[in-house]
Amino acid sequence: MLPTATENDLFALVREPIDTDKLARGVRADADGAIVTFDGFVRSESHGRRTLYLEYQAYEPMALAKMREIGHAIRGKFAIHRLAMVHRLGRLEVGETSVFLAVSAVHRAAAFDACRFAIDTLKHTVPIWKKEFFEDGAIWADGELPPAPPSHSQPAS
Amino acid sequence: MLFFGRLRELTGIAEDSLEMPSGTTLADIFDRYAARFPKLASFHSSLVASRNEEFAAWDTPVSEGDTIAFLPPVSGG
Repeated sequence: MLPTATENDLFALVREPIDTDKLARGVRADADGAIVTFDGFVRSESHGRRTLYLEYQAYEPMALAKMREIGHAIRGKFAIHRLAMVHRLGRLEVGETSVFLAVSAVHRAAAFDACRFAIDTLKHTVPIWKKEFFEDGAIWADGELPPAPPSHSQPAS
Repeated sequence: MLFFGRLRELTGIAEDSLEMPSGTTLADIFDRYAARFPKLASFHSSLVASRNEEFAAWDTPVSEGDTIAFLPPVSGG
């Protein structure tokens, strides 16, 4: 049986470098057959300009709540064992990991699909913002607008 | 009230509190800040509101003690 509880899952916002090896080991169990990880790190260029560094800011309690919601959602969709989802905040240099996901499962398909769904959903719904610093200025990155719920006054249909 | 990202830079405010009459909606609160910071108005269509850490429609009424934020497009990852 695959556990359905999420108490073994890890959701975190951190300000120090992410220990990706430790997170990947943390989701591993003998009953699993696969772990899929996603390592998102700071690119050296953005829109043709050389990136000096990035700064990430979050609405921390809401971001953590939305990350947990993603964990809950993927358990409803994919037969996974454990999930670790960590995003770093503050200043990050080129090459440093900003977001890391590790998903374990009995079979690889669920782990791949869950990992892809989790990072795509994170980028769309978790309130975190990235500012890119270049030699000649800084900009807040273009992002994705999370879907707003339907109008409050609309009667439920 | 919480402001993040470019809205925090535009308003110079990270955290604020205000008293509004009963029946006030999230849109009313936005209008109040847009009157104070005219540049804010142009961002309206590219923001989503939140109430107590949940995305909320603009016509959602607010209650005493609610935590409200206007969130720019998210760019984590």
